[in-house]
Amino acid sequence: MNHKPEVPDQPSKRDFLQVVLAGGVVAFLGAVLYPILSYLIPPKQAEVEVSSVKAGKLNEMEKDSGKIIKFGTKPVILIRTADGELRAFSATCTHLDCTVQYRKDYGTIWCACHNGKYDLHGGNISGPPPRPLDELRVVVQGDDILISKKT
Amino acid sequence: MKYYTLFIAAAMILALAPKESLFANDHCIECHQTAGDKPSELFKHDIHFQKGVGCSGCHGGNANAEDMEQAMDKKAGFRGVPKGDDISKTCASCHSSPEKMKSFGSSLPTNQWEFLQSSVHAKLSLKGKEHIVQCITCHNAHGIVPVKNSSSPVYPLNVVKTCTRCHADAAFMRSYNPSLPVDQLDKYRTSVHGLRNAKGDPKTAECASCHGSHNIRSAKDVKSKVYASTVPETCAACHSNVDYMKPYKIPTDQYEKYTKSIHGVALLQKHDQGAPACNSCHGNHGAMPPGVESVSKVCGTCHALNADLFSKSPHKKAFDERELPECEFCHANHEILPANDTLLGISPDAVCSRCHTDHENVKGYRSAGRMRQMLDSLEASERFAIHLVENAEQKGMEISEAKFKLREVRQARLQARTVIHAFNEEQFQTTIHQGSIVSLAIVQEAKNAVDEYYFRRIGLFIATLIITLVALLLYLYVRRMEKK
Amino acid sequence: MKPLLKRIYNWIDERVEIDGLVEYMGKKYVPVHRHSVWYYFGGVSLFLFIIQVVTGILLLLYYKSGEELAFESINFIMSKVQFGWLIRSVHSWTANLFILSAMIHMFSVYFEKAYRKPREITWVTGMLMFFLLLGFGFSGYLLPWNELAFFATKVGTDIAGVVPVVGKPLMIFLRGGTEVNGATLSRFFGFHVAVLPGLFTVFLGIHLLLVQRQGMSEPLHIKDESERKSMPFFPNFILRDLTLWLLVLNLLAILAVFFPWELGKKADPFAAAPAGIKPEWYFLYMFQTLKYIPGTLWFFDGEVLGILLFGIAGVLWTVVPFWDHKSSRGEQNRFVNYLGLFAVMYIILFTLIGWLA
Repeated sequence: MNHKPEVPDQPSKRDFLQVVLAGGVVAFLGAVLYPILSYLIPPKQAEVEVSSVKAGKLNEMEKDSGKIIKFGTKPVILIRTADGELRAFSATCTHLDCTVQYRKDYGTIWCACHNGKYDLHGGNISGPPPRPLDELRVVVQGDDILISKKT
Repeated sequence: MKYYTLFIAAAMILALAPKESLFANDHCIECHQTAGDKPSELFKHDIHFQKGVGCSGCHGGNANAEDMEQAMDKKAGFRGVPKGDDISKTCASCHSSPEKMKSFGSSLPTNQWEFLQSSVHAKLSLKGKEHIVQCITCHNAHGIVPVKNSSSPVYPLNVVKTCTRCHADAAFMRSYNPSLPVDQLDKYRTSVHGLRNAKGDPKTAECASCHGSHNIRSAKDVKSKVYASTVPETCAACHSNVDYMKPYKIPTDQYEKYTKSIHGVALLQKHDQGAPACNSCHGNHGAMPPGVESVSKVCGTCHALNADLFSKSPHKKAFDERELPECEFCHANHEILPANDTLLGISPDAVCSRCHTDHENVKGYRSAGRMRQMLDSLEASERFAIHLVENAEQKGMEISEAKFKLREVRQARLQARTVIHAFNEEQFQTTIHQGSIVSLAIVQEAKNAVDEYYFRRIGLFIATLIITLVALLLYLYVRRMEKK
Repeated sequence: MKPLLKRIYNWIDERVEIDGLVEYMGKKYVPVHRHSVWYYFGGVSLFLFIIQVVTGILLLLYYKSGEELAFESINFIMSKVQFGWLIRSVHSWTANLFILSAMIHMFSVYFEKAYRKPREITWVTGMLMFFLLLGFGFSGYLLPWNELAFFATKVGTDIAGVVPVVGKPLMIFLRGGTEVNGATLSRFFGFHVAVLPGLFTVFLGIHLLLVQRQGMSEPLHIKDESERKSMPFFPNFILRDLTLWLLVLNLLAILAVFFPWELGKKADPFAAAPAGIKPEWYFLYMFQTLKYIPGTLWFFDGEVLGILLFGIAGVLWTVVPFWDHKSSRGEQNRFVNYLGLFAVMYIILFTLIGWLA
């Protein structure tokens, strides 16, 4: 006789519960990890949009000299050439973000970190920097030097 | 015959003799007149004499005595010539007594001495022993006539001369109060009041009309008639009196209008001493405040920025050509109400539509319409932003930064109300635009805050569902495991 | 999946020989009886500790210590950092729930006399952890540098200074000076994130090791051997534990959303203390007791007496396994029960009084 003892269809029931449980656990882990991972992403600091900055007085800027100005949160280098012309560039080196400076003895803009050099039009002429420095607009209003973004 | 004519002559002389000889009792004046004494000459015309108050009424002594020494005996009460405050006290001995004045049938006030004593003229003179001013300083001593008498030094047409005797004397005034000006008369003569007064109009204002007569106080004194917040009342005493002002044919509603105006409310209700009264625009003694060419240009002395913007605007030339007063044309002169947005625009109640219509001065018409729209949209934007911020706040979300920024929007609206005086659409738009940008940012922040509020609750709901589900499943799993 | 796990297990076992340990753990059983529900509170406390470590580390990424920055950095976390509000509120709520759970755990162990031989060290390490836990609460409370925390710290360290002999040096040590200021904040920060966690972990390690090694204690009054029911620790008890932990986590989330933890006003050392200032609830019963002790008792200063009494009570409570010999012998100890009952009633009563006053 083929009298099989009643064996309930256990495997599929077990699988269903296990599957749903596993799914639930995954959903739970997601619900826990999502806030934590979002938390780890730094929030955007409201950057005050700076459009122009006063960079001092014309008579205080010697010929053949340069100085670093704060432009919002970024540094900017203001150059006065030997002819008296004023130019301004972003002072963040395009290589690895060090702050550049003016070297009178080289007659160029120079980066101390890896000896990168830029000419007085911001072009990268020597060393590791891959790109030129961004130029900004310089305007003289009366006695004041104003630096603003190039539109 | 000789004696008969002599008798007739004596009778005629007696009949025709001046009344004073009727007062057979008053020997003072008889003697003094005979002596050719000036005061007694003047006293003939004095009202006191006419009312029966003789020399002894002020000087004391025995008027009945013919003998000089008897008459001028100290024991008979002779006081001689009173000096210093005694002079005024002598006047006051009758003039401050209501009973005495009534007994002479006079209805004159009796508070003059009291007033004088608390007035600025009661300060001590240089000698340090008496008031600067006594009754006789203005009223004279012996020829006193009623105020209505045109020869009285205090008759309206003569008051100016009486006051300026001291007040136009720079050297004299310097010893008492160097900071007081001494050019009031010159200024006064340029004004309407001064011109009419010179022409002989006794109704027009002179010194006493505004400053008072006996109770003259410093303009800085709260009780003074010319104290800043009292000035409108003082001017209105004549200028709001319809009957009094009838012959002059000018309006009499200025005070009424002023009390409703923003300046009037500020001065009279809020007691802001900086707010202008009549004299601020019309001048104190002169017709204009110093340095101003006409009343229509006076607003700029306080509202400098608006006046400056206006003078650079295209309206300046247009108004001058049409001989229109500048500020007054849009803002009125006496009934200046708080400015609001309805002044601008193309609707009938906007001031622009007085000159700008869709077929007249059309460029300005269109510009006014656009500018009003800009103003309205910024106002609506501000209201919306406030509403959203309040909503977020009520939900307990952190929104203090956005709330602070609301001030900027308000400021843009206020600034627009100033910038409009340049009547430059581009400039106006820039000001409004700055406010709009901030307002939009605030709306966004508030929306984000409210969204976050709902996000948290929905997130919690979902997380609770998941956790409850997993907990339930785990429990079932364990139960099943344990059944085996 | 199974072959992979098996492969990893074998890889580790070949190097560390964990087979024996795993077999041993598999044999661990948890007694099942009328009072076995109390067994869960140790696990809940452990879970809450883990929550504190995780949320604490997350907060550390944005918190800035120092008078000028602390308050603002917490404001930043609450308003600008994504889910910062959740992490911070969970951390604050968990602190309170942790102490509550630890107290329930401690009292349930006490009344079951589970501290008796051979579990004396387990009890002592547990008590030490409890005191460290109070230290965690006290030091962490100051970190936002808000008004309430500032004055609570002032009062709390003042009380520490009252202890005879060691009081003043202790107070200066705690405050980093004579006054409560930025130095105190720095110090408390160091205690809270480094010193206390380190010490706590050591005692926790010992505690857990002993529990695993010795198994769960059974109540004294189990008469019949046949009545003894039990369940395997793995996976039954663990899974039940996890289920409860899930529900506790859900509770924390609900509390964080509907009852966010306040920040209040920034501390101003020159401002007057706000009216009705009182410590957090877990210190309230001691605070209230001190208020009721008269200024001087015989020749003792009232406050000193109060603190010493609590100190002595704490010590006696900690060494109860060593003076309760009856329980070690397996006998019922009515005195210990009454003492425990008195302690619980006292704490509840005085906490309520302090709250409602």
